[in-house]
Amino acid sequence: MAAGVAAWLPFARAAAIGWMPVASTPMPIPPQEKKKGQDGLIILNVSGTKFQTWRTTLERYPDTLLGSTERDFFFHEETNEYFFDRDPDIFRHILNFYRTGKLHYPRQECISAYDEELAFFGIIPEIIGDCCYEEYKDRRRENAERLQDDEEMDMNNDVTPVNLTYREYLWRAFENPHTSTLALVFYYVTGFFIAISVMANVVETVPCGTLPNRSKEVSCGDRYALAFFCLDTACVMIFTVEYLLRLIAAPSRYKFVKSVMSVIDVVAIMPYYIGLVMTDNDQVSGAFVTLRVFRVFRIFKFSRHSAGLRILGYTLKSCASELGFLLFSLTMAIIIFATVMFYAEKGSPASKFTSIPAAFWYTIVTMTTLGYGDMVPKTIVGKVFGSICSLSGVLVIALPVPVIVSNFSRIYHQSQRAEKRRAQRKTRLARIRAAKIRGTNAYMRYKQNGLLIDSLEEASKEAGQALVGKAATPPFESQHHHLLHCLEKTTNHEFVDEQTFQANCMEISVMNKSGSRTSSMSSSPHGLSSCCSRRHRKKSSFSLPSTNNQELSTIQIRERPVANSRSSLNAKLDETVPLKCDEPYITPSMVSLSAPVVTSSDGDGSTTTAYSQSNIVRVSAL
Amino acid sequence: MEAIQGMEVFAIGVVIILFMAVLKQFGILEPMSSFEDSSDSDLELSTVRHQPEGLDQLQAQTKFTRKELQSLYRGFKNECPSGLVDEETFKTIYSQFFPQGDATTYAHFLFNAFDIDRNGSIRFEDFVIGLSVLLRGSVTEKLNWAFNLYDINKDGYITKEEMLAIMKSIYDMMGRYTYPCVRDDAPSEHVDKFFQKMDKNRDGVVTIEEFIETCQKDENIMNSMQLFENVI
Repeated sequence: MAAGVAAWLPFARAAAIGWMPVASTPMPIPPQEKKKGQDGLIILNVSGTKFQTWRTTLERYPDTLLGSTERDFFFHEETNEYFFDRDPDIFRHILNFYRTGKLHYPRQECISAYDEELAFFGIIPEIIGDCCYEEYKDRRRENAERLQDDEEMDMNNDVTPVNLTYREYLWRAFENPHTSTLALVFYYVTGFFIAISVMANVVETVPCGTLPNRSKEVSCGDRYALAFFCLDTACVMIFTVEYLLRLIAAPSRYKFVKSVMSVIDVVAIMPYYIGLVMTDNDQVSGAFVTLRVFRVFRIFKFSRHSAGLRILGYTLKSCASELGFLLFSLTMAIIIFATVMFYAEKGSPASKFTSIPAAFWYTIVTMTTLGYGDMVPKTIVGKVFGSICSLSGVLVIALPVPVIVSNFSRIYHQSQRAEKRRAQRKTRLARIRAAKIRGTNAYMRYKQNGLLIDSLEEASKEAGQALVGKAATPPFESQHHHLLHCLEKTTNHEFVDEQTFQANCMEISVMNKSGSRTSSMSSSPHGLSSCCSRRHRKKSSFSLPSTNNQELSTIQIRERPVANSRSSLNAKLDETVPLKCDEPYITPSMVSLSAPVVTSSDGDGSTTTAYSQSNIVRVSAL
Repeated sequence: MEAIQGMEVFAIGVVIILFMAVLKQFGILEPMSSFEDSSDSDLELSTVRHQPEGLDQLQAQTKFTRKELQSLYRGFKNECPSGLVDEETFKTIYSQFFPQGDATTYAHFLFNAFDIDRNGSIRFEDFVIGLSVLLRGSVTEKLNWAFNLYDINKDGYITKEEMLAIMKSIYDMMGRYTYPCVRDDAPSEHVDKFFQKMDKNRDGVVTIEEFIETCQKDENIMNSMQLFENVI
């Protein structure tokens, strides 16, 4: 029931007195209404911005946070108000929902921030009013697509796991030519041969001068038949090999065979083989000539090499309905105008409009404003209708075209955006990593200074003294360090830095070796070897700390927030604990410090900038 | 030859139509364009508004306290910012309380009962005066109000047809899914029972005196009149 209507409930109940005299049975007892006290004002303090409203306004929706007793958890006795540590700008809309019964979505707000606020206050997004619902849904879908794109990109950009089978390696090489030089070479070679093949097809038909003993011009294909044949053979060899390799490497052969690109490949090479098989039979030579036409489909193989072509194809596919409509309306108009023109020109002598189908040609040529001039109306009536025909042709064609254009533009921009995001993400991630390093470096420092002492208190005292250049360690930091220490003790493993780890695990060698190793090298070899041999698929959950691979050498930067997006960058090092030595797409970035310099947070800043730069370099080199 | 003649006439007709279309663009042919203007008037914003009398007068006229009047007005104004409730809005609001049936007919009768001066809209004064009677009035006043509700044409007599209409509207609010199923003759049966009870002199109509007298003797009715005292 809508909120505003709830205000009329007392009225409806009062009006029920009208039923009393005609009632056949006695009325039930009304519910006991505890005197809730007078309708008072409630003060809602949202991050300093005070909102006030009547209590009954809030109680209209008892299944939300503000309308139920849940709000008592936020009651602040000292100031006699309800305090919420949330965004006041978005809260405004939420409070308006209670007041007016309609929830609106402000366009300038970020969709995920808004969603979070709604979830916090217990309001389901489905009740967003009609005026804003479409916008909300669009933004949400866009956001979901974006996150999905990121995920897909994550999966695509995995560094090669060491133990891929040969087949999977081959498939990855085909799909992603940038993964290895061999794949790149193959990519360019095939592209080159496609171009050669297409050009050969074209040049074949050019007239090449006359043979000595004939007077007719012959085409180049006939003159240099052998050369062209050899060229064709070479190209087809390459294409066949490529196709077979793809077929072998495909994870799902059936799906591969059904895909468009494979069909194009087959169509491109079939004519050659059929031509080999067929002899110079006169009856089938006509068909043979037709087959050669299919050789031109080799040009479509370029779509593997060009994203733009793929986008075009995708656009046309997605605009199928508009194209269908265009075709239908054109057909209707053509038939109408052809009929009219036929009957208009019927009386004129030597008229070319011999039948309605013959008039189709005229109508098409006129409507698309081609106007070849091979068929023209001669009577006045014919000319009148001919002019109407051409005017309407312009209109009919102009209408669906903008739809197709906007579709193409949308898809194109989407792909551009994907490219841009890919490029930006490396810098972004490097910066995020640098911030995280500060946290981990602090911990390593702490360990460096206080490690060899077992007792916690002494360690923290020493660490505290050592760390403190001038100021006391902030309590958050010290608690954090304590936590990490506890973790180490729990698992009987220790956090080490990158160097040590990589020295033990056979990884891609790091180019920058900076600084001295930390002294905490008591990692158990057992744990290291087991981790190296294990392959972890990347997933959002992390293995329990009780497993035996706790070396902190890779910091997993997760783009997708794990549940709580408000986790500070420093705080959740627990997430980084599971060792993923096989596939960090962000390379291990914890760098041990060049020892003596760092004692205070100021030094931290300068050194970390150096590190972050080195990190950035490393990322791009990868 | 005839075909060509026909085509020429057709061609001339088409040309004339196109010519008229072009002239319309230039506004030379006015008569056609007047149709378009009327559609714009839909976008006119209604500026009818009503402000209620002052709080003091209303306090004098009704039995509500100031705070109650304030609370009532806030709810009223929230739902009807213009200060007037027209019948359609009233029906919509009332129907929301009875989602499984059709409350529009009864809402219509209710609307007429509240709209004392029969001007097609309920102002806040009508609303609050009606509520005052229903919630704070004496039993006689309430019975008077009920009689007024049943008496559709306000002539002082409740006829069988009026009662039947009221009864049908009440049963309509129940909707289809009831237990036991509402039979088609249930309303008229109910009306007969009512008349049997109320119509003392068997003249086929119920007057206000008969109504009040009978109701005061019926204990059930008297009890139920007190049910909604605490609604506000």
